[in-house]
Amino acid sequence: MDLPISNSDSSLEWSRCLAACVGTLGIGALLLFIFLIAVDPYDGGKFGLLGIDGVDDRNSFTAVASRARDTNFDSAIIGNSTAMLLDPVGLSQATGLRFVQLSVVGGTPAEELAVLDFFLRNHQRVGALVVVADPFWCVHAETEPPRPFPYWLYGKSSLAYAAHLFSWPALEHAFQRLSIGLGWRKRNNPTGVFKIEDMWPAGFREINRPLVPPPAATIAGRDIFPDVSLLDDVIRKLPANIAVVLAVPPTFYTTIPQPGSGAALEKQACNAALNRIVAGRPHSNFINYRLDNAMTRDRANFADFIHYRPDLATRMSEGIAASIELGNAARIDF
Amino acid sequence: MLFNDYPFLLVFLPAAILLYRLVDPYPQLRIVTLVLLSFAFYAYDNRPFILLLVLSILINWLAALAFARTRRKAIVTAAIVADLAVLGVFKYTNFIAYNLGLVLDRPIPHFDLALPLGISFFTFHHIMYLVDLRRGKAPFYPLPRYALYIAFFPQAIAGPLARWSEVMEQFGRKVYSPGWQREFCVGITFIFIGLFEKIFLGDRIAGIIDPVYARAAAGPVTNGDAWLALGFSIQILYDFAGYSDIAIGLGLLFGVKLPFNFNAPFRSTSIQDFWQRWHITLMTFLRDYVFFPLVNARILPRRFLPLQSNAAMVLTMALCGLWHGASWTFILWGTLHGCALVACALWRRYGWKLPSLLGWVLTVMFVLVTGVIFRAATLDAALNIFQGLAVPANLERGRHLLPLVIIPLMAFLLPASQDIVALLTRRPRPWLSALVGFGLLAILVELGERNVSGFAYFKF
Repeated sequence: MDLPISNSDSSLEWSRCLAACVGTLGIGALLLFIFLIAVDPYDGGKFGLLGIDGVDDRNSFTAVASRARDTNFDSAIIGNSTAMLLDPVGLSQATGLRFVQLSVVGGTPAEELAVLDFFLRNHQRVGALVVVADPFWCVHAETEPPRPFPYWLYGKSSLAYAAHLFSWPALEHAFQRLSIGLGWRKRNNPTGVFKIEDMWPAGFREINRPLVPPPAATIAGRDIFPDVSLLDDVIRKLPANIAVVLAVPPTFYTTIPQPGSGAALEKQACNAALNRIVAGRPHSNFINYRLDNAMTRDRANFADFIHYRPDLATRMSEGIAASIELGNAARIDF
Repeated sequence: MLFNDYPFLLVFLPAAILLYRLVDPYPQLRIVTLVLLSFAFYAYDNRPFILLLVLSILINWLAALAFARTRRKAIVTAAIVADLAVLGVFKYTNFIAYNLGLVLDRPIPHFDLALPLGISFFTFHHIMYLVDLRRGKAPFYPLPRYALYIAFFPQAIAGPLARWSEVMEQFGRKVYSPGWQREFCVGITFIFIGLFEKIFLGDRIAGIIDPVYARAAAGPVTNGDAWLALGFSIQILYDFAGYSDIAIGLGLLFGVKLPFNFNAPFRSTSIQDFWQRWHITLMTFLRDYVFFPLVNARILPRRFLPLQSNAAMVLTMALCGLWHGASWTFILWGTLHGCALVACALWRRYGWKLPSLLGWVLTVMFVLVTGVIFRAATLDAALNIFQGLAVPANLERGRHLLPLVIIPLMAFLLPASQDIVALLTRRPRPWLSALVGFGLLAILVELGERNVSGFAYFKF
């Protein structure tokens, strides 16, 4: 490209162009950043100067942060979509605690642990924790995460959080939050309650078979469940007055391992590991709802192989509430 | 380090500009600073291979020094052979071993060899200089200047393949001399356009067609999506032209005008025209250092010179294919283009003149179809795509396929990026520069999602 030789006048004009370009970029970036910091697009609590409450976000990966730090609640339901139908309002009424639903759709144990850690860091007083442990908790070796999860939103570092604010999704969330602040939009339900019709249509679809964790490489390795151990580490550090209920969610009966099979032994070992976490802990219990019975044989109780419908959720909630009151002496009617 | 990632754009580049601004008044520091910056750039995520790059520079420079003192051509020849051998070991060992295994009908173990980033490009830079040194066309240069020629960070990984004569004398130039502001505006505009091409055009198409190629690698594509695979040539145009434009822009920020690599290739009206507009610096290299020597070698009697010339064309393009990767798909792609160039030359000589529009349609169709062979992981995968073309295109995804309409139209209709930059920077217009700054801001926000994908030519 032929570039004309510049004289001093044109140098001055080109200096203005350069200043306009770099200035727009620099000042624009700065203003944008100030806006994002002021609004705190995900309501993660690390920033936010405008006092806007809640988010309007359908993505549970990011929406959970706002609820998890809400001090109007003292108890939490942790899990993935297999925990979503547990009604926090019903549990609150049954226990006298204040439950918030923190399920992450498609969440892995590592992601659920990040949410749990975030909830605990944001609450000085905790009443109870309900962790719904699906078969993903029962893998012996750590697996590759299926897709990126915003750990930066749930981590301790404000810097890492700030570094992820400069994006289109963050901007979109910021404008949504601004709209909430201005009263133009409604925030998500603060309890995080889900309606089944929002998630699954009527009828049973033969999809979402539960994970069958690969068997341990050695006999000794059969009792090693890295994610269960991490959960154990967290629970062990909690004061004894915090009730902890670990629940294995029901699945349609055809997917339950046959007694005596290798998969059944694996499941048994995992259940035992989960049980050990709460053994001897007051107001705490391990409940295995993955049973072959009339309820799990009824297709009407399931949307697919792993997602149960409200009737089962209500039964589960009853067991959970009873456990919070009576610990492992609770009668589980399932 | 990727040009389209935060570590480069927010840390390395501003730091490099600042550092060079500080050393600009000291001529003896300019080249050394750029060499060190280039090594840092290369080492950022290629730590094990920085030693290879440094050794490669040292050995080739010592060969040049020995030649300058003794005038013994064997030294330069040995250095070139060694360069090609190193390239061959890293790039073609497993390909040769696999095919040898097929010929001998016994398995040959797969070697765990990682391809050093940019090895094809810095090997070619060595060769260009050494061949011209042996021919007496190139002077001997001191080590820092030679090191910068090989490792200059805007071009080290994926070109443009600059001739030594195009850049050597530009290295170490005083950047902050009268008129630097315009050079910077031009450079920033190139970087903006390059990032735009890569992120908003190339990557958009990649997002649509990558799953199709993944499916083709596993089996037939029978749902009508095979048609989408034809978009690959457009994707790689914007991926590589984007990279080249960023490199050119970066060069300008450090006082070096790198050669252009693309000139609106999808506006070509013949395949010959296409190869004069696509990856121009590689084609110039192949023409001068492979094709001409093959044509000028006395292999066949003089009356068979046209035959030799055509064979040289096919062989050059087959080698061009092989240079892109150790796979039969690349060799087939190159050979097909070589044959097309020969056919085009013969048609020009013996056929009637084609209307430009017909020539354009034929050229574009040929490039899009052969692009499938280039992109497919195997010949079977390419065949799966071609068989899938028997099924009518699946347009169910509606507006999600819009990029595959709009972006090719841009490739067909818009002028080359250097012409667009020339138009935008013909005279100083602060509002336009502010717009470029705004565009860069939008790109930084886009990159904030961390969906950064590497440049296609990094693996060649």
